[in-house]
Amino acid sequence: MTAIEDVSTEAGVDVVGHVPGEGDMWFFVVFESLVFTSYFCVYLYYRAQHEHAFLKAQSALNLPLGIVETILLLTSSWAIARCVQEVRAARYRSAQRFVLATVGLGVAFLGCKLAEWVRLIGEGHTFTSSEFMQHFFFLTGMHAIHLLIGFVVLGVILYQLAPQRRSHQTIETCSTYWHTVDLFWVLIFALLYIVR
Amino acid sequence: MSIGASLRTDPKRELWFVWYSTVAFYSLYSVVFFVLTRTQPPGRPWLTPEQTVGWFADRHWGLLVGFALIFVLGGFSATSIALITYSIRRMSVSRAYAYSYLILYAIAAIPGFLFICVAMTVGAMRPERDPTLMHWLYDFGFLSFSGTMGVFLVGSLIWMAAILLDKNGVFPRWFGYLNLCNALTEVVIAPSWIFQRGVLAWNGVIAWWIDVAVFGMYTVVFIYLLRSLIQRDDLGTGPVPALPPGAAPRAHPLAKVLAG
Amino acid sequence: METSAKKRLLVAWVVVVAITVIYLWIDRSADDRRVLVGSVAVTVAAIGLALVKFRIILREFMDVRHAPRALCVLTDLLVVVIAVALLSAYFVGRAVT
Repeated sequence: MTAIEDVSTEAGVDVVGHVPGEGDMWFFVVFESLVFTSYFCVYLYYRAQHEHAFLKAQSALNLPLGIVETILLLTSSWAIARCVQEVRAARYRSAQRFVLATVGLGVAFLGCKLAEWVRLIGEGHTFTSSEFMQHFFFLTGMHAIHLLIGFVVLGVILYQLAPQRRSHQTIETCSTYWHTVDLFWVLIFALLYIVR
Repeated sequence: MSIGASLRTDPKRELWFVWYSTVAFYSLYSVVFFVLTRTQPPGRPWLTPEQTVGWFADRHWGLLVGFALIFVLGGFSATSIALITYSIRRMSVSRAYAYSYLILYAIAAIPGFLFICVAMTVGAMRPERDPTLMHWLYDFGFLSFSGTMGVFLVGSLIWMAAILLDKNGVFPRWFGYLNLCNALTEVVIAPSWIFQRGVLAWNGVIAWWIDVAVFGMYTVVFIYLLRSLIQRDDLGTGPVPALPPGAAPRAHPLAKVLAG
Repeated sequence: METSAKKRLLVAWVVVVAITVIYLWIDRSADDRRVLVGSVAVTVAAIGLALVKFRIILREFMDVRHAPRALCVLTDLLVVVIAVALLSAYFVGRAVT
């Protein structure tokens, strides 16, 4: 699967028929989505089996914090999408600001997550304290690892924004990766915080 | 043309020998672990000492014969590591990547592959052993097999980095990303040190079944891609040529000879 | 043309954030005075809304909207597969209890 060459770098033009980034990264998006879906299916199956126990443990979660975390990541997706738009318009300084904003939003999310974990552990809800919490810490932990990899990927974008590089395809590929962090969180949030 | 002459004129013969050895090794591995010894899927972590004695008794001859085969032929596990190392050397990246991979996987094979063979053979050897000791061997075998994935994880990341940095087109980039997916499944197995029951135990739906599904796909894919590399390889140091569209892969000299 | 692309992105952001905030309302109405209560309707709604957001992120933020048809179809298929898998796991789990 080879990526279609970057067809247009014209300012602000929406390029129809253009694969955002490498086609290969889209393979990753689909494959990893399916792997996460399999984890979610296991969680939902066992949740349906032990509804009462899961509900009891779930009540320890702080929904407003979950909403804040979701909005942080949605905004980070917006920011990196704006970055790609700025890169296509050849406004690289502006693009750099958007990448830094994305990093900031990602760090804020991580901070909230850590605070949440510390609070839960402090209240006695640990990885091993209940089946729900096992799934909670597993899914949010795996997601956090993807987020940390995302910081490396954002670093690649910043590196690419230097004048002698500026590969649009690499930048778009990296932004596609960052969006998966948001995509997976959107599902994780609904399944852990809202599902009853 | 005689077999000898065919083999001498084909400069890739060593690579094909290693590739076929890799396929043979993985086949042997599957048959030994899944059929002969029945150590995969793994036994339940929550068995009592008395139940583990029963587990060893059920598999007595399978364990002894199966792992005896591994002790004799297990050295062939080196072929896949060597071939992957060759593929990294064929890339445009620094040789340090190839050597790191080689060292890591060579070391990882000891706890991640050999320990379970030794532990289970020791257990099967004296069925009258104290149940507490049998329980110990059982835990030691399965935990060393599953729980030492960290080394493989780093190896996968090294291969991934090499593939993504490579300018010689040795592997398609999506395979680099698949290495990341595989590396992450090696994180998933880590909680098996904590859980004796449930989805994250060493036999759990997530830690074993889903992990093995991903690893199985990954293994089939890399064996296929290594074959593709050998077909395309010009044994040089520059970009690996693509197979011309519609061209049949170069026939192996043995195939030519067997076809008469 | 540029401004409309920027505006469209912002609108997409507003929509997904609004859906997220709707969850607060769903959550409040689902519980019986702060005690969590099981509910098939809430579960299905939660998964449904999550997948709506998932698709908006794909199409608007990840620019699948402008991608070749094959990628559009592939990502839509992915959404369908995830929906079917999640709902099946949940309902099969309930049936087996």
